[in-house]
Amino acid sequence: MSTDSVIKIKNLDFSYGGPKILENIEIDIQRNEFIGMVGPNGSGKTTLLKIIMGVLTPDKGSVKVLGNPPSQSVKEIGYMPQFAPFSRDFPISVEETVLMGRLGKTSSIGFFNKADKRAAEKSMNDVEILDLRKRVIGSLSGGQLQRVLIARALTCEPQIMILDEPTANVDMKVEKDIFDLLKQLNEKITIIVVTHDIGFISQYIHRVACINRTLICHPTSELTGETIENMYGSHMHMVHHHHEDEKK
Amino acid sequence: MSSFIDAVSSQAFMQNAIIGGILASVACGVVGSYVVVKRIGYLAGGIAHSVLGGMGIAYYLGRPPIEGALVAALVFAVVLGWVSLKMQEQEDTVIGALWAGGMAVGILFISQTPGYNVDLMSFLFGNILMISSDDLLWIAALDTLILVIVFLFYKQFLALSFDEEFARLRGIPVERFYLLFLSLVALTVVILIQIVGLILVIALLTLPAAVSGHYVRSLNLMMLLATVLGVFFTTGGLALSYQPDLPPGPTIILLAGAFYLVSLVITRFWKRA
Repeated sequence: MSTDSVIKIKNLDFSYGGPKILENIEIDIQRNEFIGMVGPNGSGKTTLLKIIMGVLTPDKGSVKVLGNPPSQSVKEIGYMPQFAPFSRDFPISVEETVLMGRLGKTSSIGFFNKADKRAAEKSMNDVEILDLRKRVIGSLSGGQLQRVLIARALTCEPQIMILDEPTANVDMKVEKDIFDLLKQLNEKITIIVVTHDIGFISQYIHRVACINRTLICHPTSELTGETIENMYGSHMHMVHHHHEDEKK
Repeated sequence: MSSFIDAVSSQAFMQNAIIGGILASVACGVVGSYVVVKRIGYLAGGIAHSVLGGMGIAYYLGRPPIEGALVAALVFAVVLGWVSLKMQEQEDTVIGALWAGGMAVGILFISQTPGYNVDLMSFLFGNILMISSDDLLWIAALDTLILVIVFLFYKQFLALSFDEEFARLRGIPVERFYLLFLSLVALTVVILIQIVGLILVIALLTLPAAVSGHYVRSLNLMMLLATVLGVFFTTGGLALSYQPDLPPGPTIILLAGAFYLVSLVITRFWKRA
């Protein structure tokens, strides 16, 4: 496993003009890490992701993604949003949706070409939705749609994948399938996943980044009921689980 | 009906009207589909109505109203686009103000134009029976321009109308393409004003695409079916209005509106069944 840094944030502050949303954030994410990002609603998780993707600019501090400013590296990030921001009755097939991931990599004029279609086919195959390719998105179940969004992010051929609560709207079985899939993808891609379900994902991730205006990173082995309670500021029900071997 | 067919085969103005309807349907099928899926009918309505300002000024200056319409449509497209990008909280109020303000400017200039104001009604309600061969050339040229731009930037327009946030993250200059797209809406509005006048433009822009959207599974097919429906509505409206000597513009719109309502009821019922 190589140890080069893919996301390096130093001494970062951010506000939307009022009180600080993020304060003194420091994190160094290595290639092929699998990071879980947790924190209560409104703690600044999505804001931090937007800074990493160059959508927002911090008030203070430095952000490097793959050694460059975020706006230059955004094409190397595959992003899966928390909510599908599009209308479910949009007349578009699974394949066309996944092809959107090729934007920014393919030629800027004309239609999608053969190479684009091959790339989309590969990611649909990876997430096991190739048989759905001709289906219109409005006819998919919640779990199928999550897979389409992952496939779209994969089609960007990203070095980093950022997933904002990828399993918020699916049942436990689908959640497990999706994280098993992410674990496979993690062999080649650095993954950051925002989640509320820290107990469940600790068997998949290497480190947890706990955000609540400030950021504290824990290796998953250090996670206890107390750390999680401090994070959310209220009592949480803990379920025991096993950790698989850590990479470090 | 047979007298309509006679008229089409013998009268140049009827042939122009039919060809005008077909050419307009191309722009309205392609651009109207984007307007419907992107849900910017109100914004498009604002562009269509504020165009009267440009037509009134052109009329006052003794220029052809279509020139004023073209300039005003493009200017308002950029202004309204900028408003919707930068002032999202007050977008509907600002669009409403520009919509009415543009029309008011047009009416003032028309009222100050010396001579008999015969053209006001045809600005507002159009007259497909008055389309000249020159108008047809204009419409064909605008159609070509719209199609070329849509072919060139098919991917960007699809991404923009489907998922703007994702498009932005893939490095697409979303604002620029949004303004380009609204300029296409402006060109289409100018074409459609020739057919049904500016009051009714928004119906012809959205209804064929909306009906089409009830049945198809891709944006390309939506555009194709919307174009075919547009041809059917304009030609059918002309045919229906010919014998009883009704104005064709409103007849076309009512035909399209009736089809839309029936289609809406059928698809709702069908989906529930």
